Amino acid sequence: MSSGDAAATIRQSPGGSSSLTLLRQGISEILSRRRLIRYLVQADMKKRGTDTILGNLWWILDPLLQLVVYVIFVSIIAQRPAHDYPLFIFATIVPWKWFSAVITDATTSVVGAERLIRQIAFPKLVLPLSVATAGVVGFLWSLVPLAGLMLLHLDRVSIMLVWFPVIAFVQFVFTVAAAVFVSAANVFFRDLGNALGHVLRLWWFLSPGLYSLDNLESLKYVQDHPIIADVFRLNPFAVLFEAYRAVIYGVPDGPQPSAHPPDLIALGVLLLASVVLLGLCITFFKRVEPEFAKVL
Amino acid sequence: MTSNYAIKAEDLGVRYDLRFNRKTTVRTSVSNFVLRRPPPRFWALRHVTFELSHGESLAVIGPNGAGKSTLLQVLAGIMRPSEGTVDVRGNVSGLLGLGVGFDNELSGVENVLLGGAFLGLDDAQVQQLLPSIVAFADLGDFIDAPLKTYSSGMRARLGFAIATAVDPDILLLDEVLATGDANFRAKSKARVLELVKGAKGVVLVTHDMEWVSEYCNRAMLLEKGRVVLEGNPEEVVQLHMERTAAAAAAAQAEALAKGLDPAALAGARGEGGGRRRR
Repeated sequence: MSSGDAAATIRQSPGGSSSLTLLRQGISEILSRRRLIRYLVQADMKKRGTDTILGNLWWILDPLLQLVVYVIFVSIIAQRPAHDYPLFIFATIVPWKWFSAVITDATTSVVGAERLIRQIAFPKLVLPLSVATAGVVGFLWSLVPLAGLMLLHLDRVSIMLVWFPVIAFVQFVFTVAAAVFVSAANVFFRDLGNALGHVLRLWWFLSPGLYSLDNLESLKYVQDHPIIADVFRLNPFAVLFEAYRAVIYGVPDGPQPSAHPPDLIALGVLLLASVVLLGLCITFFKRVEPEFAKVL
Repeated sequence: MTSNYAIKAEDLGVRYDLRFNRKTTVRTSVSNFVLRRPPPRFWALRHVTFELSHGESLAVIGPNGAGKSTLLQVLAGIMRPSEGTVDVRGNVSGLLGLGVGFDNELSGVENVLLGGAFLGLDDAQVQQLLPSIVAFADLGDFIDAPLKTYSSGMRARLGFAIATAVDPDILLLDEVLATGDANFRAKSKARVLELVKGAKGVVLVTHDMEWVSEYCNRAMLLEKGRVVLEGNPEEVVQLHMERTAAAAAAAQAEALAKGLDPAALAGARGEGGGRRRR
């Protein structure tokens, strides 16, 4: 049911296209269906707004409640949390919520559209893409409580905040790549959804969100085995969290506020890796896309 | 002009690889791999060859699980054939399956806009078509109500209105003419005939034999994914009736032979029609 192209549509049997062709197709599909993505995002917003009593207010309440949980939790377990600890962890809770919400929703994005997929032909890439875009809207909402908390620590606010959109962009590219991958993989392995919740939770605790890499390196065990710290640094969210914290909070655990620029080399490498990953994930998605209608 | 066809299918086949289905888990696929179990396969459609010219309307009939819907899905570009080729010329629009609708939370009008975006129409085009779609669906105040409040007949009306409004070169319809009230059925039949007269191609799946012999100029009988007969609607319908009666008689005889064991009956029926359908 593809309209628009008036020219003859010719399809052939098990058409194995080259990876580059698939990637090009995928990108042009995303660009040509921007309006569809926008509609899907609007529909999603509307649903979230009408299903719950507080509606879109949950975008703001959710990270705040999580902040309260972690502040209580860490204050009890760790005797001496970092200075201005709420801001210290909120700088990472907000971006993490963005990532985990997108990945969780993306997992079911293709599977949830099974009726549509079996009824009309459309580029399925719009499904994870619209989830990722809706995630940006949610992220922007959750910046409201973050800004509120920063107002309480005005001495920590600095010009380094200009790096914030750059860090968020790197995270966005990485998030889209992961969303595209899980949405397609979940079609073939439905137990991915079950595993993902645990993977995300583990990932969060293994990322320097509630602690900094400096905290980690000061542990005696890590000092004896420096390889552990090196492995931790390979985590994309180690790079992202340290960068967010550098520009929002300042020098980790420092009593004197002094924001400093993020590690630009690490961010650049992560951006490059994310772009490559995104290309691979789109190619993978396009390769398995013809099977969706049969499997669903 | 021999090459003036709308659809040309040659030795078309669609194979379902049942290795992956909605119940696949990592555990089962690993155990299948380790045990070298061959992936179960199933041909939903095989050796289907036909040509449809502009201005023809082809009815596809056959028992449940014959591959009728699969054929339409291939023609619509939803599914890629596993073997053979299919060549579809022109804009394809289709209404595959009942209960169409894009988003349950959105209103009828919003669904038209969303549907247009799914079909790849540009915004101006959809805005221009909107009044005629709303008029044709004839849903009154319901057009502004969320889709979840619609009855199945109302959904079919809206879907039919969207699918035919785009003035397609080829229209695919899957058992949608049976829904809606008498009024809407008459209206939709008139619309389909109009498209046929306008030298458009129509392929429809239906169980309404009256409609086949009255309005279609060709028919195709599918059974277990193979074409049994293709040609004059009257002859094809005749053969389908005979074969249905024969199959029913055979099933009854078999049941009697087994002493009317209900389990055996269910087992015999499960052979062909057990596949999940939309």
